[in-house]
Amino acid sequence: MDTSKKIKILYIDDEPNNLVSFKASFRFDYNVFIANNTDEAIKRLEENPDISVILSDQRMPGMTGVEFFEEIRTEFPNPIRILITGYTDIESVISAINRGHVFRYIKKPWEEADVKSAIDEAHKFYITTNMLAVKNEELQKAYEELDKFAYSATHDMRGPILSVLGIIDLTKNAEEMGEIKEMVGMMENAMLKLDNYIQNLHDHYSIRRGELNITEIDFDNVMKDMSDLYDITSRVKNVRFEKSVQQNGKFRGDDISIKIIANNLLSNAFKYQRKDADDKFVSFSIISENNQAVIIVEDNGIGIPEKNLNDVFTMFFRGANDEIGSGFGLYNVKDALNKINGKIEVSSSEDIGSKFIVTIPSK
Amino acid sequence: MSVDKMNFIVIDDSKLDCFIAEKIILNSGMCESVKVFQQASQALEHIQAVGTAQGTTVVFVDIQMPVMNGFEFVENFEKMPDGLKKNYHMYMLSSSINENDIARVKGYDSVRRFLNKPLTNDTIKAVLEEFNA
Repeated sequence: MDTSKKIKILYIDDEPNNLVSFKASFRFDYNVFIANNTDEAIKRLEENPDISVILSDQRMPGMTGVEFFEEIRTEFPNPIRILITGYTDIESVISAINRGHVFRYIKKPWEEADVKSAIDEAHKFYITTNMLAVKNEELQKAYEELDKFAYSATHDMRGPILSVLGIIDLTKNAEEMGEIKEMVGMMENAMLKLDNYIQNLHDHYSIRRGELNITEIDFDNVMKDMSDLYDITSRVKNVRFEKSVQQNGKFRGDDISIKIIANNLLSNAFKYQRKDADDKFVSFSIISENNQAVIIVEDNGIGIPEKNLNDVFTMFFRGANDEIGSGFGLYNVKDALNKINGKIEVSSSEDIGSKFIVTIPSK
Repeated sequence: MSVDKMNFIVIDDSKLDCFIAEKIILNSGMCESVKVFQQASQALEHIQAVGTAQGTTVVFVDIQMPVMNGFEFVENFEKMPDGLKKNYHMYMLSSSINENDIARVKGYDSVRRFLNKPLTNDTIKAVLEEFNA
């Protein structure tokens, strides 16, 4: 029987008979773990961090159920606690709630239906609380990113604008036509840089906010789009562009994410070439079979120093002394891959080249 | 009393901003020499090589640069011998309006002050006047 999807619960009682009868009663509904002392209970919790509900007998030698709950609260804060007892004095109820953070209280001898409803309610509570924790973490991450973004945006968006303002100031005193033309060319570059940044930003938010649109992917079409974008770059920059596509069977995925990934990797491969190299190349291959696509982008450019390999996917990290990097490209790649459950591997050597291998599962 | 012409070093990863700074400096009429670096590490090497062979030098360094940023540059510079350091006068430039960056600039003994980008004729005039005291 498949026990993996059942709710995991832990029952602690010093009476072996109670343990046996509890397990017998509930093993069909839940994945039941039992322990006849608190040390053993802690062991079970360590082995099974996804136990969501703990039921404990109150009267045990050595330690009461409430004391046990109180003790494990810091180390195992997530499971929801239910206390089972035959003695119902008000004092122990109060201390159970206040000290042990007990969710429910069950009287002995227990009714099977009562126990089940208590467990189900506790599990619901567990799920909600955990979801809240996950959401909180996401929110924290979003805040941090926003901070980083605000800092970088003033630099990356204001930078080109201020450059242009600086040149405008210079042109006021420039008289030679050649000089003025040179300055106009520089202003153009600054604006292109700003535009590129804004487009990356747009990509970033379409990955983030956008819903995935899963369709059948024709990788020939992906290749054609990339060829349209990079064939000219290849000629102008004198970089050989090797392409190959192999698609066996259908592949379903999000077209936009796949293109953002391919585009960013290719853009980098062409950008980070060694200026003085003889036989510059970028190779781009797609192999789609057995429900997964492998995209490989390789170049013989400047490479990535080993110490930076872990940072290249970080937002706004720029590893090279060039002025065209926005620190967005590979971050966007990683983000897009996270959304479509893809993986990326990078191997690189300085002055030899880089190789990025992307694996994307079909939906 | 008016000072002699001065030497300048510009460090900025943006080619464009280097160009602007160079022009502005040349236009000031107070320029003995100007050196431009797009990588802070190369500027450090240059300073090390020149040592004390050169007179008063004004250094304009951008804060946000890849690989070695302006702060890292200043920290490396501050490790150099005192005799050499007193020849160089640092100004840190940035396009970001970040209070933390501006506050951090104040913490470095070798940095005279923070300047907003872009460098203009007026800014450089103000900087040069600081040496006219």
